[in-house]
Amino acid sequence: MIINEFAITSNLKKMKIKEYFQLQFKIINRKLTDFGFNPIIGFLTIFIGFIGLSIYLFSKTEFAEYIFILIALSFISKLSEIKRNDFLKFAFPDKAYLVIRIVENSTVVLPFILFLIYKQIFPSVFILTTITLLMALFNFNTTFNYTIPTLFYKKPFEFTVGFRNTFYLFFIAYFLAFMSISVGNFNLGVFALLLVFIVSLSFYSKPENEYYIWSYITTPKGFLFEKIKIGFVYSTILSLPILIALGIFFSSEITTLLIFQLLGYIYLATIILAKYSAYPSEMNLPQGILIGISLLFPPILIGVIPYFYFQSTKKLNNILA
Amino acid sequence: MIRIENLSKNYGPKQVLKNINLSFDKGQVYGIIGENGSGKTTLFRCIAGLEKYSGTISSDIDKLKNHLGLLLTEPFFFSKITGREYIRLLCNARNKNTGNIDERNIFDLPLNQYASTYSTGMKKKLALTAILMQDNECFILDEPFNGVDIQSNIIIEDIIHKLKDLGKTVIISSHIFSTLSNTCDEIHLLKNGEFLKKTFKDNFITLEAEMKEITIGNKIEKLGLK
Repeated sequence: MIINEFAITSNLKKMKIKEYFQLQFKIINRKLTDFGFNPIIGFLTIFIGFIGLSIYLFSKTEFAEYIFILIALSFISKLSEIKRNDFLKFAFPDKAYLVIRIVENSTVVLPFILFLIYKQIFPSVFILTTITLLMALFNFNTTFNYTIPTLFYKKPFEFTVGFRNTFYLFFIAYFLAFMSISVGNFNLGVFALLLVFIVSLSFYSKPENEYYIWSYITTPKGFLFEKIKIGFVYSTILSLPILIALGIFFSSEITTLLIFQLLGYIYLATIILAKYSAYPSEMNLPQGILIGISLLFPPILIGVIPYFYFQSTKKLNNILA
Repeated sequence: MIRIENLSKNYGPKQVLKNINLSFDKGQVYGIIGENGSGKTTLFRCIAGLEKYSGTISSDIDKLKNHLGLLLTEPFFFSKITGREYIRLLCNARNKNTGNIDERNIFDLPLNQYASTYSTGMKKKLALTAILMQDNECFILDEPFNGVDIQSNIIIEDIIHKLKDLGKTVIISSHIFSTLSNTCDEIHLLKNGEFLKKTFKDNFITLEAEMKEITIGNKIEKLGLK
């Protein structure tokens, strides 16, 4: 009798865990569909993208395995977030909860571990596996309530919020610029400059609540120009230290630097326009493809920017008019 | 003045607002009451221009939207923006100077903390403070008393009285009848997208009793509580 009850309870637990993962799988599929991907094509793209980027990373730097481990850990750290785990603990019995944490963490790091095995870096495989299993036992806040000071408080919100979320990346960019000057590697300096712009572009990836657009007393054109103006001013503040330092130490390459700076501004304006051209939805596949093509072939921006601009004014007109 | 004529709103096949005719005068406070889902928020969103609708909404104010303070039921806050920055953002949007924010922070909110970490009531007070600093002519306050402590409720009631004295138009929805009877000149009862009744201050007590009858009826008995 006791054995039977144990078997029933055990089966129920398994069923609950199975349902949980089926639900997670559905959520991922829905996200891919919202982004404009057929889920199968989406998974295939992620797979190919992961392999491609991993090969690229390992071909570029000798520190790739450490960066690889850090990226993997940053993914699973999100799964240790306290509120999320409080919910799971409340919803599932203790053992089922632990199984979920271990399976989730392992699933996320599995591609990283397989790639490290392929590269035959077994100490890193061991380290990553151990930390992954240990992290299933701990929960922590991935966000802090301490108010990070920012230069961008006068004109919230993109750079105010974005800087607070990614400030460490700017320190990495400044460090890379310093390294490029120390070792005389101009390309590394350009990468540091581009990193500032890439991070700035990410501040415009999500559409804001309509209330924050509705509140403005302006026309769609005025709104877009104001957003672009703030983007230019604040990205200049962030990139200027690198630009000046590289300009001094690589004075013969000043034209190249200015071209990259200009490209940074152009892509910043493009992403702002792309964001509002899809509003209130997130940027989707067609916009992503256009931006992707323009990265490979910048002259296409001559057509892409006006297209995004007219789409944006049309979308904003519904709220601001 | 805001005049609403033959306003209707559909979400797909579902008609949320049915041929609404209503006007809101300057220096008056209007209460809109109704069950959850009766169409109050949709009506407010239509007035604010956040929804498309059939019918007309006109005003003697040029571009009503630009002079309208809208307090949403659940104000949205970015994850890493402080209370002070939120106020600045909304005032910037309306080209208004914030003045001395600390002096005008009458709810004693921790303005240097991230607004997303505030409690429900604090978020409401912050959003209200911001729209008050915008110097609007009209105010739509969707459940301004919800989740707010009793002391702040008293302050909010006083703010509404002050706005009325200043000749502003105020439209409020609330599920707490006493707050409406303390502040409103007129109360309109909305049910299933239609206005059933308009009541003036003298008859608020009768309205409360009628409302109980209309909305509750014998529902409690149906629960079969023992």
